[in-house]
Amino acid sequence: MNGPPSSLIVRAIGVSRQFTMPAGPVTAVRDVTLEIGAGEHAAIRGPSGCGKSTLLHMLGCVDSPTAGTLLFDGQDVSSLSDAARSRLRLRQIGFVFQRFFLLPMLTAAENVELPQAEAGAARDDRTRRTRELLEFVGLGARSDHRPSQLSGGEMQRVAIARALANRPRLLLADEPTGELDQSTGEQIAALLDRVNADGTALVIVTHDGVLADRARRVLMMKDGRIERESTR
Amino acid sequence: MPSVLSIVLLALAVTAPSTQDGEAPPILVTRQLAASEGLEQGQIIRLAPDSRGEGGRPFRIAGVYEPVPDPARLGTLPREVRLHLPDLLALTRLPDVPAGTEYVEAINIALVDPAEARNFARDLNARMPGVSARPAAEAAGSGATFQVLRRFHLAIALVTIIASTVFLLALTIMLVDERRETVGLLRLIGLPVRRILVQIFLEGLLIATAGGLIGLLLASASESLINAFFQWRYDTALVFVRITPYVAAACLAVAVPLGTIATVTASWVLLRRNALRLARR
Repeated sequence: MNGPPSSLIVRAIGVSRQFTMPAGPVTAVRDVTLEIGAGEHAAIRGPSGCGKSTLLHMLGCVDSPTAGTLLFDGQDVSSLSDAARSRLRLRQIGFVFQRFFLLPMLTAAENVELPQAEAGAARDDRTRRTRELLEFVGLGARSDHRPSQLSGGEMQRVAIARALANRPRLLLADEPTGELDQSTGEQIAALLDRVNADGTALVIVTHDGVLADRARRVLMMKDGRIERESTR
Repeated sequence: MPSVLSIVLLALAVTAPSTQDGEAPPILVTRQLAASEGLEQGQIIRLAPDSRGEGGRPFRIAGVYEPVPDPARLGTLPREVRLHLPDLLALTRLPDVPAGTEYVEAINIALVDPAEARNFARDLNARMPGVSARPAAEAAGSGATFQVLRRFHLAIALVTIIASTVFLLALTIMLVDERRETVGLLRLIGLPVRRILVQIFLEGLLIATAGGLIGLLLASASESLINAFFQWRYDTALVFVRITPYVAAACLAVAVPLGTIATVTASWVLLRRNALRLARR
């Protein structure tokens, strides 16, 4: 329980996630208790299938725990309606995925503008914010390009810009460098560092030891549990 | 209308024409009969009650008319003439039957205003005991040609609608399934299910309306083509296809809700799934 309550963004208390599979129930996350504070930079590591992505999805209110309590800004997420949970994701949480997940029919600028439009931002504000964000990720000159016209690294930078569009307090990244070469991966890691330096809490799920070492807090997971935690 | 009757000339024979007898009573012949026998207005022809031509009488062709189309006789060439009733009786009366004792079982009376048929029948029944007058539609009963055709069309329409609904649903499920990644992504970004459903509903409404209108345009464009072909094929003035405002409205009333519901139903099934699974495809 680090820091004052006001700086706490998300708090998981004994959360578990069980999936019903044809061969029987599979528990991906077991009794995890975790807090993420404002401006924090954390990395979750562990072998494949240890439940790190599932934990990240629960922290991002994309998935719901089957046991335990998840509080976002002190509010029990399980009590929220679909609309309220969606609003939370839209305004408070940004997502970056391994496979970028950009809308292929939209340009880079339109992809970044979409969450702002959904959040009700005025057109001028959206345009200005989109330009700023694309400049921030180094793609100011490619705002009119569609994802198919961008490289993997560029797509991931657009995805980061989109994730930051509504100034989220928490940015969650699931293997953000997983599909990129080493050099491009380092550029993305540096970009994420800058995002965190600007005050956005950052939680990264990664296999990449170099990327994880950039975090101030590293959580090691195994068999659905947090096995150990280190800070620097 | 004067006492003019229409009879089918199955037994009457068109005999050698003459142009000399100015006293011959006038008759009208169908366009088809005139064309097949090479008859013209003003010609004198002999009509006989049997095919051997015995007891025939001369008549003057006063005009050629287009017969009222009858779907029950589609494909049959209407070789018909119209005679004044006294001429018809004189022509068909048996030799041992005195004039004035003939009888008919039924006659059709055309009214200037067909909507007055019921009132006219009621009035006639009151004035002439022993005569049973009924509007033609009622006299035809439930087995009337047009009613049978209407039911047949309704059955075809119902089968078409059911089959197209299944097809439409399958098509929309496939279309929606192609967009599952987009839907999943929108959910991940933070668009609520209701917001996406509204978007899909509006999209479905637009597509269904456009589809209905395009269908109507196609039907209207092919209407005259179909009519022209079958009218040529069967040498009839029958109208085979007619897109009335009622038909157009009924088409849209069925197509638009059906298309919209199919789209929303297919999408609803998709939206109930986990956003991550959708996005990951």
